[in-house]
Amino acid sequence: MKSGRWLPIIIVVVTALLIAISVLHPNQSAAALADAGTTGLLRPSTTPEAAVENLAREIGQRHWGSAYSRLANKSEFTEADFQRDLTGTYMSLRSYATLDHFEVRPQHASQNDAQELLKLHWSTVVGTFEDTKSLHVVKNGDRWQAEWPLVKEPRVPPQVIPVNYLRWDVIYRGAQDDWGAQDVESPHVRIVDMHPLERGDGVLIMGELLNEDVVPAYVSVKATLLAKSGAAIATEDSFDKISHLLLPKQVTPFLISFPGVELAQVASVRMEPSASLIAASADPVIAIEDQKLNPAPGASLTGKLVDQSGQVVNVVHVLGTFYDKNGKLVWVADHYMDRALLPQVPASFTIPIPPDIAGQVSSERAVTAIYSSGGFQ
Amino acid sequence: MSKRPIPLSFILLAAVVVHLPLLLAKMPLHSYDATFHIFFASHYLHHWMDPWNVKWYAGFSQTTYPPLPQQWVAVLSHVFGLIMAYMAVQFAAILLLAVGVYRFSRLWVNERAASFASLASVFLGSESFLVYGAGQLSTTSAAPIYLNALPYLFDWVRYGRWRSFLKALVLFMAAAAAHHATLIFGSMLFAVPVLALVFLDRNEGEPMSTPTFVARTATMAVVGGIAIAVVLLPFWIALIHNPVTQVPIPHASRANFALSPALGINYFIVPYGALMLVLPFILFRGAAVRRLRPLLLGFWLTFLIGLGGTTPVGHLLLGRAYEVITMERFTYWATLLSLPFVGLLSSELVDRFRMRAVVGLTVAAAFTCGLGVAWIIYKPAEDSQFSVDSAAAWLDRDGHDKYRYFTLGFSSKISELATYTNADSVDGEWNSGRTLPELTQHGGAALTKSKYFQKQGLDALRAMLAHADHYGLKWVLVRDPYYDPLLSFVGYRRVDTLENNTITIWGKDGIPPAVPVNSAYRPPQWQGLMWGTLPFGSSLLAILVVFIPDKRRPRDEEVEAPTPAEELVPGRLAI
Amino acid sequence: MRFRHWCLVGSLAFATLSPCHAQSASITLPKQVKAGSPFSIQTSGSGTAVLYIVGFGQVLRRDLQLGDTASFSAEDIHDAGHYVAVLVGQSSTDNGAFDVVPSSPPANLSFLAKPSRLPVSLHDGISGAVYVFDAYQNLITAPTPVSFQLSGASGITQTRTVETREGRAWIQMDSAAKEGAAHFAVHVGDISSTRIIQQVPGDPCALRMSARPSGQKIELQTEPLRDCSGNAVPDGTVVTFTEAYDGKQTTVDVPLKRGIAQAELPAYNGAKISAATGVVLGNEIHWGKQ
Repeated sequence: MKSGRWLPIIIVVVTALLIAISVLHPNQSAAALADAGTTGLLRPSTTPEAAVENLAREIGQRHWGSAYSRLANKSEFTEADFQRDLTGTYMSLRSYATLDHFEVRPQHASQNDAQELLKLHWSTVVGTFEDTKSLHVVKNGDRWQAEWPLVKEPRVPPQVIPVNYLRWDVIYRGAQDDWGAQDVESPHVRIVDMHPLERGDGVLIMGELLNEDVVPAYVSVKATLLAKSGAAIATEDSFDKISHLLLPKQVTPFLISFPGVELAQVASVRMEPSASLIAASADPVIAIEDQKLNPAPGASLTGKLVDQSGQVVNVVHVLGTFYDKNGKLVWVADHYMDRALLPQVPASFTIPIPPDIAGQVSSERAVTAIYSSGGFQ
Repeated sequence: MSKRPIPLSFILLAAVVVHLPLLLAKMPLHSYDATFHIFFASHYLHHWMDPWNVKWYAGFSQTTYPPLPQQWVAVLSHVFGLIMAYMAVQFAAILLLAVGVYRFSRLWVNERAASFASLASVFLGSESFLVYGAGQLSTTSAAPIYLNALPYLFDWVRYGRWRSFLKALVLFMAAAAAHHATLIFGSMLFAVPVLALVFLDRNEGEPMSTPTFVARTATMAVVGGIAIAVVLLPFWIALIHNPVTQVPIPHASRANFALSPALGINYFIVPYGALMLVLPFILFRGAAVRRLRPLLLGFWLTFLIGLGGTTPVGHLLLGRAYEVITMERFTYWATLLSLPFVGLLSSELVDRFRMRAVVGLTVAAAFTCGLGVAWIIYKPAEDSQFSVDSAAAWLDRDGHDKYRYFTLGFSSKISELATYTNADSVDGEWNSGRTLPELTQHGGAALTKSKYFQKQGLDALRAMLAHADHYGLKWVLVRDPYYDPLLSFVGYRRVDTLENNTITIWGKDGIPPAVPVNSAYRPPQWQGLMWGTLPFGSSLLAILVVFIPDKRRPRDEEVEAPTPAEELVPGRLAI
Repeated sequence: MRFRHWCLVGSLAFATLSPCHAQSASITLPKQVKAGSPFSIQTSGSGTAVLYIVGFGQVLRRDLQLGDTASFSAEDIHDAGHYVAVLVGQSSTDNGAFDVVPSSPPANLSFLAKPSRLPVSLHDGISGAVYVFDAYQNLITAPTPVSFQLSGASGITQTRTVETREGRAWIQMDSAAKEGAAHFAVHVGDISSTRIIQQVPGDPCALRMSARPSGQKIELQTEPLRDCSGNAVPDGTVVTFTEAYDGKQTTVDVPLKRGIAQAELPAYNGAKISAATGVVLGNEIHWGKQ
């Protein structure tokens, strides 16, 4: 009976130990789920790094109140301002972004204050974006608190912006029409440049597509790599590396990726641009100001977007086309703006250029594609 | 107050009173997975001998999931329709559970305590949680069959009765045909304590040598293993051909409940309910009575695994399988293993406190059962209260079903939609059935829930959209504007709206009509034939065999209420 | 369908062989019948018989007394093609064949005109094809004169007449120099069908812009854009203004509105401003050095 007497104690102690082990060292999925649902992995803010990590976790869990309460400079702005700084005032990629992971890098530290670099890696429906903040962390009593460098979103003064609204509507043939009945003609588009490139893990097909018609076109480009035997190696399309809506005489770059294919295998490429006529609007007009090619290291195209109309654009996709000194297309890259583009308010963008390409780039051209929650048609 | 056992007929009537109204009200349709089983059943209804289902994942094999409950739903749907047939099968499983718990408990406790345990199974929180919240038809069907098989296993190993061997064998086959996870993991957790009990009892009454014990156990293991291997042969072939090597998908049941208390309520408080109050009794009585120790240890182990990431036990014992299966079924099994203790405690409480105990136990049982039933109403995981009828009708008209589709923001409604439309999808809810690389290479579950899996889920979504041409993927039905920017930037356009503009249909021009995907995982015809006959046949055989009457047990084989040897053992309440 | 047709004909023909010694039943058939016209078939002999008329997708049956005339109304046969008649009597059979031809006046046209939109002044840019049918949708294979007429917004009309071959006729025509909707009509007898062809301006012939200061900005405006035939380039056509200065660049894609494109760009001394639309380049302005 001795074993019977000790068994409950053994079970309770072992169970408690096992729980303690898992709390202190949660496995990957438990930790991920805890991040998603609780503040359980927070630890005392006894160091500057811990303070910033805790803040990042609270932000990741969208516990705005808790995160705000951890700030040293919260008297300078409201919790709503803090939340708006992270999620944006208008619907944008930030609104529904989830924190994928974060990094904290100490920059300097003294006894009472420190500087920490916080890199927040956000995941959005169109990809990830990085948000870097340099945080000043101060010691208050026995714990550290970060000062949040709040950037107040510029507000557009109330005004009326007249727009001469230009729009195309289409009436398609009906299902009941005679087979010989005419339908609206698809827009005429043309590939004006095309260039294959072998890079890293595959082949890239870059080019430019022109809408040479007088009506808007909804475009896409498909490419098939053909071997010497004429057999198709792979077929891919331009996916989101293109501006799908082309107004008359507008040009978009496109980039098609073929991962795992070597250029030596490819004898020819079959290009299939497709275009369909759609109802579309010519507004809003977005100017791209101060475009500048920045040389390596950290080569990039920077610039500012200005929405010249009065409509808020929720997501802007900037596509950059890069040419060498002979005007030959050498690279296509893109960037999604994580904040909504407000009327008349410039918004900066940066499109990184790979170091090996940067040396060849002599000129560039940038275009934008947009998404507005009301629909861009 | 009488000290006789509660009649089984009364217990079954209690199950009818509690569960029949809930099932007639189709409460399980609120659950996560009920429509999943109905979808599988609808395939068996139309293609009994062909397990290749093209409506999900551009084609997947239903041999990746044991078919028995779904095949019964398909059969009964000829009379009741698919939904009520599901309710009928679930109801049968609930009744079988009451019988199974009674028979299983009789191995450990006396008849009166076993009858209380059986009555407690009607109100079991984890059963209500799985039936009405999780919709786990297969788990809740397989476990009762195992419980009914275990007394025959005991009888065979302990007394060497061939009749019991046969009955245990066919019931194991039927249980295996009902659910694979219960077969692979649950059967061990139930069977090992029973075998340990046989070993402990080997010198009680008719003595049994250790070699005999080993030989009989091995015979059952080998013959049972071969029989199950044959009955589920297409399943094993599918598993070997396409082992679950896909990227693990996070599941809330694997959370650390200490770090995620909200999930702890869902996966611990609700399934256990008032059973939490019984834990000290289980611990002390189980430790004090030698015969109950195997059950205590079996319960403890299952309890620990059911805690998911709260302890490292599940991860250590299950290895890679830990990232594939969900943990709430272990909690269910743990509660089933605890029921003999519950029966014991209840009978002792009633004997001692009479009406006060009856009132207390009734309130505790009602609360536990009610919480399990109502939890999905209090905490619906996703907004799933909308109709997919219009979406199904849209897909079926004007040749739209020539192309494939998938949904975004439809949660578990994708099973219902797939049941009622003719169109095929590249998405689905059966992760182990997926073979498309766009899905298996990323740690997201169904595309329709991509955003909940963050980067992993969205990567899978983008990979699928990038290969829209390949799969004839022309339509995306969206019920969550979160996804709209992606669709518009990758070349889809809004083409229609349904359900008062809450569902938007996006289409892409230039997509060729869908063609069948030439999959290496399609089972050959002979496997379809096996799948259509053996699992269902095993259940028919089990029904026939259990009607063979048992020999009346000698009196010395009856189990009396186990009491501890020492009166002062903590936890003992009976006088 | 075709297989079933021949099976039926075959079995009926077989039936004619068996009692070959009987001579009493025979039929006299018309050589040709117009679709949708009444016709009759004279029988001879004595006794009762059954007359079958078998064509593609259609079988008629008449029970009759041999020696009577079987009459068929206008509604009975209206699909053109080859028909077989089989008379099955009690002791003998007879068979024969006749053709049903389209009724002579064309009643329907299927007119395919492509494209529905094209640039002005394009040689052979418009093609039209017409299929001529009778009232019962039978293709009229007999040569039929067809007149194509293309009338543009300027009032100039091109007309050409061609004769159908095997029931169809086609033609290619030039688009007009002036933009606007052209009516492309086809006439056969007194029936006609019309399609609308949108003739749109071609690429801009020249692109000229001017600039003037507007506070901290430069206001750029193009002259009204016209193609080489003098047609105004339609609104919505995108003009790209590019300003290069100090290693930086500003671009804006502006759609034409009321024939002109306007944009405001930052004013930098020494900036080089250019404009382009599609592949057409415009003039260049050097700001601050003019």
